[in-house]
Amino acid sequence: MSCDPERVTGLVDEALEPDDRAALAEHLEACPGCRQQAEEERALRARLRELPPAVLPAGLEFSVRRRLRGSGGRRLVRWLLPVAATLALATFWGRAFAPFVAWELALEHRHCWGQPQLPAKVFSNDPAAVAAFFERRGTPVPVLPDRAGGLELIGGRPCRLIDRGVAHLYYGNQDKRLSVFVVPGSVRLDRSLRTKRGGESIALLRVGGSVVGLVSDDSASVEAFSRALTVSVARYDQ
Amino acid sequence: MTREERFEAEALPLLRSLYGVAYRLTRNAHDAEDLVQETYLKAYRAFDRFTPGTSIRSWLFTILYRLRTDAFRKAGRSVKTQELTGEGPGVPPPQAALASGGEDLQRALDALPEVFRTAVLLRDIEDLSYQEIAEVLRVPIGTVMSRIHRGRALLRESLAERKP
Repeated sequence: MSCDPERVTGLVDEALEPDDRAALAEHLEACPGCRQQAEEERALRARLRELPPAVLPAGLEFSVRRRLRGSGGRRLVRWLLPVAATLALATFWGRAFAPFVAWELALEHRHCWGQPQLPAKVFSNDPAAVAAFFERRGTPVPVLPDRAGGLELIGGRPCRLIDRGVAHLYYGNQDKRLSVFVVPGSVRLDRSLRTKRGGESIALLRVGGSVVGLVSDDSASVEAFSRALTVSVARYDQ
Repeated sequence: MTREERFEAEALPLLRSLYGVAYRLTRNAHDAEDLVQETYLKAYRAFDRFTPGTSIRSWLFTILYRLRTDAFRKAGRSVKTQELTGEGPGVPPPQAALASGGEDLQRALDALPEVFRTAVLLRDIEDLSYQEIAEVLRVPIGTVMSRIHRGRALLRESLAERKP
């Protein structure tokens, strides 16, 4: 029989009929090329199986369960859940539990920067281009600097915080990273909030009509951005 | 046990496996999360049509793959068009190429056209049989064999090229 590389693949995977398998095994005895292909495919299979698995995002199981609960259940529960959720959200946003918002932003920051590739939906160092991207998605972004504290704008992606679309912008240089979050609507915040969660420094500031959250593991970068934002807002307001 | 509890007990333990495939297909954590969530939601709604005793894993992969190809269709692209690129390698690369580090392999896998990447993923990482892969991708078994063959050949070729 002549060489048939596809069937050699079938042989490696033990997916051939017994007669076919016997005939091909006999061919391999006499054909170094096909034998080599089979050996290499087996070695490749072994290496593929040893690839490290993708890291499961921390909140995924919770989100899946929540969505399943929201989509099914008994009729009364189905009707009650959105009502309860709306009430809870109204309470949450109305009372503006800023430390909780800060905590959620820190989680989001860690999640994004922890990826092997930054999950940006827009890559640009031009604040106007990034702002236009978010504007098209219904999240107005106030005037932002293209750099501050030695960190440069990289890009951003829209994400969700509870029920709101939030703009997440990435700034960084070779060794520092900072997230700027623009949270639309109201969060009760007298002037500003500074806090720490794990290794991250977080600042929540009111900028124009939005609340801006800054998260970084470098507190000096957070301070540099707080100043840059205050200055740019002052200019914006003039 | 309610329908919801039964679904969660059977389907949720496969979250890691589903996310792994979604991540390797989309190559992006955000899109992979969306794809996995949509898969679970759709599977839950269709759970009455799942035949008990058959593999829930292949059934979930089938839904995930359908959602993925639907997304391609909506974006005006087709997974299948990628099948037309290249004729596959002519000369088998040397065995030595297969001994390099895992990063090379990961990069080579990521660079594989999706139509081959899917077949190789389901066979070599998820260990599905040809029959199961044929059902997930809705193609004949011969096509499964051909895609796995082309996928592995491209991987071997790519690894051989990277090897100095």
